[in-house]
This record gives sequence, structure tokens and C-alpha cells, in this order.
Amino acid sequence: MSHEDTTTENQGEPVADGAGIVAPDDETPTWRERKERHVGLARLTYEYFERARREDQDLRTESDYVERDVLAFPTWPHETVRNLSIAAFFVGMMIFLSAALPPHIGDPANPSSTPAIILPDWYLYWSFGLLKLNPLNPELAVLGGQKIMADRTYGVLANVVVVSIIAIVPFLNKGAARRPVEQPFWAAVGVFGVVFAFTISLLSVKNLLPMNVDLLFDLTFLLPVVTGVITYAVLKTMREGYVYDLNRRYYRLRPPK
Amino acid sequence: MADEFIKGLGILTVAGLFWMVLAGWYRTPSFGSTEQLVAPLTVDTGSATLLNLVAITLMDVFFWLAILGPLTFWVLVPAGRQARKAIDEARSN
Repeated sequence: MSHEDTTTENQGEPVADGAGIVAPDDETPTWRERKERHVGLARLTYEYFERARREDQDLRTESDYVERDVLAFPTWPHETVRNLSIAAFFVGMMIFLSAALPPHIGDPANPSSTPAIILPDWYLYWSFGLLKLNPLNPELAVLGGQKIMADRTYGVLANVVVVSIIAIVPFLNKGAARRPVEQPFWAAVGVFGVVFAFTISLLSVKNLLPMNVDLLFDLTFLLPVVTGVITYAVLKTMREGYVYDLNRRYYRLRPPK
Repeated sequence: MADEFIKGLGILTVAGLFWMVLAGWYRTPSFGSTEQLVAPLTVDTGSATLLNLVAITLMDVFFWLAILGPLTFWVLVPAGRQARKAIDEARSN
């Protein structure tokens, strides 16, 4: 059966899988032929993924094929090769930096003296910054200008409040949006959170920052709001036009609820 | 253009990496200090060996490459293309 016969037979069936872009199997070049052509990595990548797409297409035409909601590349070799190359990059970077940067082994810690600057690890700076919210602890007039709780209790309560808000967010928004432009409000909430995590971390090291502490304290809370509003405005503006309509059509596919 | 983007990004990351390593040697008095990578030179250039002089020169070269490289490929080259296109359109009309 020649190639023309096959295409004529298939004409009656609904074919929506993009067949025809890739060469039929007997015309697909071998790896040796591809190397000999010297066409470069871009072409090679293109052909590789076209071949993968073709295999996926062949699978779909098999009788025992079950339609799934999530499309993906197989673990071997696609994901494995990609992960190995990423891991090799980062391991190489660590080896390079540890070999190239001057060695730094400080004096042993003296357990009997507290250092002048005490800080948690950097990824806990946000929590440490929430302990420094003393100016926000209200002095109540009914208590005669006294605070209702100590500043340190207030800081711990602030941690509880922030962690609770973070824990509630996934129940308010299920994460159906694939791109920020689909839900500008929640994207703005996300940007607010990221920027606030950054500014509250800076507040935790306020004694090391070369700037006015009062200004830093105000910026800690103003900057996240400003960036959130800007994000919302920009994404709202992006919700129209040719490209947005085009993307909305392409990104119809949703993961299963 | 994607090509111009990856050129600028490649120059930025590679030059920045080597600048960081050299500045870790020559502009970092201590890794416990609050002024790292940007402190004054820790080696006296008057009495430095040739190796140190070369490294100090390369540090400045990498620093400016990391700034001027992306600026060239992300700003100047696209702006030049836009300008050329605008000039061509103005001439053809």
C-alpha cells in the first residue's frame, strides 16, 4: 500500500492530531543521518519532539488507547535526560564555586558569649521580621495608654495570623488558572505575598540596612500593596486584545477537578 | 528577539559568575562582614604580583561586561533595528 492510499483512506475519519507535520516512519532520519547533516541543536530538538509527538499520535490511534486529561512526556528518556542535565548543571556549579572561591572557615563558635548580631537562617527572616512589629502594637486608651499584651506576645500572634492566612488561601482559590492573566485578583494577592515576604525579611535585618528604620517600616507594608495594585492593573489591561483571545483558545485544556 | 535575549542573559550570567568569584578574592575582606564583593581592594596594586594584577583587571572587565553586554543585546541592538526599520519606512513613503 502506497502512502497516497493511506491518506485517502484516512480522509473520512476526523483527524485532529496534527498528522502531516512529521514525516512518516519510513522517512524519519536515523540519529546518524541527523548528526551527519550538521543542522544544529535547534533542528535536532525540533525533530526529537516531533518524533515524540508522533509516537504519542500513534498511541492514540491504537484500539486500547484510553483518553486522559493530562498530556505529558514519558519519564524515560525525556524527563530523565532533562533532570539529569539540570542536576549536572547545579552539581557542576557547586563544585566550581567551592573550588574557585576563597575558603572561609571561621573561628569556632564561643558557646559562652552571645554574638552581637543574632539571626535565624535566611529562609526564616520573614518570621523573625514579624517579631519586630512593636510600633503596630496598639496602646489602648481604655487601658490608660497601656498595651493589651507584651510586644513579644504580639509578635508571636502576628506569626499565627500570617500562617493562618497562608493556610486559608488554598481553600479560597483552587488554583484553576493556568496563567496570572486569567485571575488578576489572585495573581495580585500572590505578588502581594511574595513582596511582603521579601520586605518583612528586610525588616528583620533592619539594624544592618543602611536606611531610615521608620521609612523601612512604612515601606514594609506599603510596597506590597503598591506592587499588588500595579499587578492587578497590568493584568486587567492584558485581558483584551488579539493575543489574549488566542491564548484563551489554546489553553482550554484543564487538569481534572 | 529570543536570540538577542539569550545572548544578553548568557553574557550576564557568565560574566557575573566570574566577577563574583574574583570579587570574592579581591574585594571581600571577610565573609562575615556586611560589605562583600564591593569593598575596596584587599590587595595593594603597587606591590601585587602579575597574577593578582591580571585577576584584578579581569574582575573589572567581567563587571563591565556583565553590565554592557545585556545592555547591548537587550536595548541597543533592538533599538538600532527599530530605528533602521523606521528610517527605511520613512524613505519608502
